[in-house]
Amino acid sequence: MIKYIIKRVLQFIPVFLGVTLILFVLQNVVPGDPIKLIAGEKKLDPQTEINLRATYHLIETDENGQAILDENGNTIETPLWKRYLQYIGGLFHGDLGRSYQQNGKPVAEILGEKYPYTIRLAIVAIIIESIIGIVAGMISAIKRYSAWDVGVTLTTSALVAMPAFWFGMLQQLFWGVFLKNVTGGSFYLPISGAGGPQAEFVDAVYYILPALTLAAVSTAYTARIMRSQLLEVLNQDYIRTARAKGLSRKAVIIRHAIKNALIPVITYIGMDFGGMLAGAILTETVFNWPGVGFETYRAITQRDWPIVLGSVTVIVIVVMVINLVVDISYAFLDPRIRLGSSKSE
Amino acid sequence: MKEASGNNFEVAEATEEARTGSSSTRPSRTLWGDAWQRLKRNKLAIISAVWIILMIIVALTADLWAKPLLGSPTEIDSATMAQNSRLPPSPEHPFGTDTLGRDVLCRVIYGARISLSVGVLATAISTVLGLIAGALAAYNGGWWDTIIMRTADVFLAFPYTLFVIAMLAVIGPGIQNVFIAIGILGWPSIARVFRSAILSVKENDYVDAARAMGASNFRIITRHIFPNSVASIVVYATMNIGGAILTESALSFLGMGVVPPDPSWGIMIQDGQTYLATEPWLMIMPGIAILTTVLAFTLLGDGLRDALDVKMKDA
Repeated sequence: MIKYIIKRVLQFIPVFLGVTLILFVLQNVVPGDPIKLIAGEKKLDPQTEINLRATYHLIETDENGQAILDENGNTIETPLWKRYLQYIGGLFHGDLGRSYQQNGKPVAEILGEKYPYTIRLAIVAIIIESIIGIVAGMISAIKRYSAWDVGVTLTTSALVAMPAFWFGMLQQLFWGVFLKNVTGGSFYLPISGAGGPQAEFVDAVYYILPALTLAAVSTAYTARIMRSQLLEVLNQDYIRTARAKGLSRKAVIIRHAIKNALIPVITYIGMDFGGMLAGAILTETVFNWPGVGFETYRAITQRDWPIVLGSVTVIVIVVMVINLVVDISYAFLDPRIRLGSSKSE
Repeated sequence: MKEASGNNFEVAEATEEARTGSSSTRPSRTLWGDAWQRLKRNKLAIISAVWIILMIIVALTADLWAKPLLGSPTEIDSATMAQNSRLPPSPEHPFGTDTLGRDVLCRVIYGARISLSVGVLATAISTVLGLIAGALAAYNGGWWDTIIMRTADVFLAFPYTLFVIAMLAVIGPGIQNVFIAIGILGWPSIARVFRSAILSVKENDYVDAARAMGASNFRIITRHIFPNSVASIVVYATMNIGGAILTESALSFLGMGVVPPDPSWGIMIQDGQTYLATEPWLMIMPGIAILTTVLAFTLLGDGLRDALDVKMKDA
């Protein structure tokens, strides 16, 4: 087991280096000089410009952060490889660089303010996904080919085939416009802060539509995986044995089948948490949810690259770590994984 | 290609026949003929195929009838713009008109051009890249395999949509860039599929036989391995088209994909968001277009998978 964990962690390192290298290259081939993006149209005096370049680590500096000049009195541009090392070093210190706007506020600080919203939304979405997805898939498998099963299959196919942002808008239309009298009408509207003292409803209300939207696609996949896993398990010999022993179908399903069918479902849901952090960009944009996704979108439109790439970096690392943890816990739950993998080595 | 690999298909057919135990009465039987027989029985797949063909015809011939009938999808007639702005659906404008007085049905039809071409071209790019990478990895093994498949791991570590967004943030919006970003970033999954297909086909005796007869690697790959793994590639590519269309709509919705005034479905939904409460058809119609198109490609892919008897890990 320990051998498996070590192997998995070691595999993580080259992928991590590759991912950060790609992100760094993206950040540094962005067309346009960062200083121009920061200053906009106005002319900077040379000293301010040098100071700015030093702040953004574009030129060599001494330990006091002062620019180092060569013999002709010019600044020395920091080579790319050195900036990559600085970037990696920064990552380990939680330093993601500084925003081009917002007075050069550190990206880590900006994202730190936004992350709680995104994580809370993802947690609510995961709960919705787990409950609805698992229950729907389970009933589908048990009552195979029933009207319910056909309904679930059609609904999941449709949910997977529609853009998440469109689904979110349809919900706004349905709950906010068509059912205006029932729902009070205004909670569908894009909101710029969840709750707060001025809010018309309790905080929880503001989570309903964004969380449903964020959960839609994953719920569909969860239901599908649950259905196919349960059907597969129900075909196994040990289920037949249990039935032959005289256990009722209900008892067999509850005691034997569901437990085994759930393992891959839980793995999927675990991995999906990372996916939700990434997928939130569309949901958050539709609902003006003040999280990382919306901030990333805002930064893209304003060409604030450090925020864009900082948030992508954080999301990718979070997703990778979650996948690593899920893989390892999967090996705990299912011995075939670790045995199989060590045999094939 | 087909001719040279005839022998291989016969093997596949023979086992196929033994498995299904069906009709020796059918006159001519090839892998594709056989698959077609099975596909025909799948109603959903046939409806999907018909829908896709219909969309392609409509998109290709739009200049002939949609433009004269419904007006230009992009041009704005400033004289009549105000009185034609956001008209509700009517016989004259079946899907209504948008803020700038353009016919929504016409824009949805022209949007099909963009969505279908992005879907097909981006998938073509990632398929070709994936085939080359997968073939190099599987056939050369060793370092080639390690480097290519580790690189694929790196690409797959990125959440796909986010990666495309980051890439477009760098190279800028525009339809060519959408092709490139979706196409380039899609190769790893196809490379994996093709690599494992090659690895399993490579073990067959007829590959050894071809090698014994002095066939070059290139010849073995193109004449023997590719025809025998083409079924899984076709299924994969079909499903991939739907995914590419969804990604394009998301990019355009965020303002990073197709540039206005080109009528992308994603842009139309974005435009319609403002008028959600009063003129909901502006966002409903393009959304239905996306839904039906993507669904059609998914269901057709499912049908092809069953008909060609391709085993896929996650379906």
